[in-house]
Amino acid sequence: MRHLSLKYITLVVAMCASALLSLSIGPRQDVFLSDLLSAFATDELSINQSIIFDLRLPRTFVAILVGANLGLAGMILQAITRNPLASPSILGINQGAALGMTLGLVFPSIILLNLDFMAILGALIAGALTFSFANSAKNGFNSLRLILAGIAVGAFSYAMVRFTFILDDDLAREVIGWTSGNISASNWQDVKPLIVWTLLGIISSYLLAHKFNLLALGEAASQGLGANPKLIQFMGAVIAATLTAITVAVAGPVMFIGLVIPHFCRRFFGQDHRLLLPATMLAGALLMSLADIVAKLINFPYETPTGIICALIGAPYFLYQSLTVKGAKL
Amino acid sequence: MSQSVKQQNIRPQWQADLYVYFRSKSFVIQVVLFVLVIVASVWSLMVGAVSIPVQVTINTLFDLDGDQQKYIILRSRLPRVVLALMTGGALAISGAVIQAIIRNPLASPKIIGVNSGAALFACLMIILLPDIPASYLPLAACAGGILAALIIFFATFGRNLSGVHLALVGIAVGFICESGVDYILVALPTHELATPLVWLTGSFWGRSWTHVYAVWLPLCTMAAVGLTMAYRLDILHLGAETATGLGLNVQVQRLILLLIATLLASISVGVAGVLGFVGLMAPHIARRLVGGNHRLVLPASALVGMLLVVLADGAGRAIFPPIEISAGILTAIFGAPFFIYIMLTSSQE
Repeated sequence: MRHLSLKYITLVVAMCASALLSLSIGPRQDVFLSDLLSAFATDELSINQSIIFDLRLPRTFVAILVGANLGLAGMILQAITRNPLASPSILGINQGAALGMTLGLVFPSIILLNLDFMAILGALIAGALTFSFANSAKNGFNSLRLILAGIAVGAFSYAMVRFTFILDDDLAREVIGWTSGNISASNWQDVKPLIVWTLLGIISSYLLAHKFNLLALGEAASQGLGANPKLIQFMGAVIAATLTAITVAVAGPVMFIGLVIPHFCRRFFGQDHRLLLPATMLAGALLMSLADIVAKLINFPYETPTGIICALIGAPYFLYQSLTVKGAKL
Repeated sequence: MSQSVKQQNIRPQWQADLYVYFRSKSFVIQVVLFVLVIVASVWSLMVGAVSIPVQVTINTLFDLDGDQQKYIILRSRLPRVVLALMTGGALAISGAVIQAIIRNPLASPKIIGVNSGAALFACLMIILLPDIPASYLPLAACAGGILAALIIFFATFGRNLSGVHLALVGIAVGFICESGVDYILVALPTHELATPLVWLTGSFWGRSWTHVYAVWLPLCTMAAVGLTMAYRLDILHLGAETATGLGLNVQVQRLILLLIATLLASISVGVAGVLGFVGLMAPHIARRLVGGNHRLVLPASALVGMLLVVLADGAGRAIFPPIEISAGILTAIFGAPFFIYIMLTSSQE
């Protein structure tokens, strides 16, 4: 147990360190962390204080929350499908959210509630489609079917998103910038709903964490232990889709964090989802804020969208994973 | 007496085969497909920002008396239609060959990552060597496609992986290449964004005769080689052991066929961008129409591929003139549901 707490502490420290590092990096090199501290003491913000408080701090928050949400969503999806290759971007959920969001931008009249809700709606529909196509009555979720269905749903959604490009040039520019997963323009307005949804996600998935452990034993066994596998899968999918959608609404479709992080954590924290849950969130936040640092530095002083850095890290990992996945899982 | 009667009746085997073939249902289907391709091509010449009546189109094509629209049809639309026909046929043959080799109905150039590899290298060329004329794009695309195929080949070499694994590895390689493409797109200054972006969505916009001259020879050669190797696909389709038993060097044949399929797909990506799902849809439709014999499936799927791409290109121009919708977007919108339909109906082993 002491061993485990040591690992958690390491993760927390690493995450805080990378968050602070990302705060102190930016095109303006004369802005330091001390400006943040002094910003709390004064009423009137100087330019340096404003840069770190209004521009960099919300951005780092968004990176951390997006990473945590995607890590959690990936863990839930892998738990309910019992498939190591499941993740929001591979199952088409990311792209579905992007489609919902884009439709909302193009046809403001069809927006229900607000844009975030459109993204959630798109993600839920895409996830439902992928799962219903992949779920065969005989042998549950088959890896290749799941991934192929996800690719088809994702390709369809993306084709529709691209279709909207032709309608309006300015809109196209906006959507392209946003679909590449750019968080450089985040502000405090983005952070607030993200925090609320993240808290809801944590609470609801913590309530389900034990059921995920039961589900890992197989559907029949979990039923014998008093769980309702179909209900758990449904609720898990809804939580995962919502968490993904809310990150897509803020940061655009960020690929592969949901795939890489749960694997990484399972290697160090074991299979118990109650212990995995905080670990995946912390590790997701760590990876995303590291990616944010790389995004700021790789083409200094210009920025590269963080989502692309994640894809460049995550895609080779997917290759590695697809080479090592056990034959029994297919 | 009886011997002379026999001699009269005996014809060479190829004549007899041809006679049977001309009376078969698949021959009729091929002819119908051919006519449809012609009709679709003429329609595609007519539609666009300026719609041209059919009489004028035909006058222009055959240089008859009466009204003509030489500039629009001969300079702008005809090269597009010719390119659409060639790339459609190439992608379809490539898809049919890959499906036969991997023995998986869901395989296609896109799924095994060849399309994305070709796209990555073509993008790299646009960025790194902007001064080189666009007619060299197919070369870069070929290099990328072959590289992707090689990665897949070596990653699975000696591991005795199933077709499922091969597809998974291909998907992964495709993801890597796509993230590379995304990086390049975003690293570009904004004003240079338009060209590769339009090109990536699979468009025939702004294609001229230079593009046709650059690719017709390799595409036609590869397609011809692919068509003549059709019977080997039939043998390979029986499974590796049976094929070896029938005297086929399975590894070598697979490699050659995979190379042809890769080249066909990469060249067409190099000239027309990523036309998703054509390589998947065309062989399936063809197989439904003419059965499983690859000597019939390959030409039929080439015709179906041509028809699909010409229709997508024409429809892209006809829906919202004067705005153009990229052919690749339309093929993806119709292809993805088709893909799922195939997935749901194809039996699981």
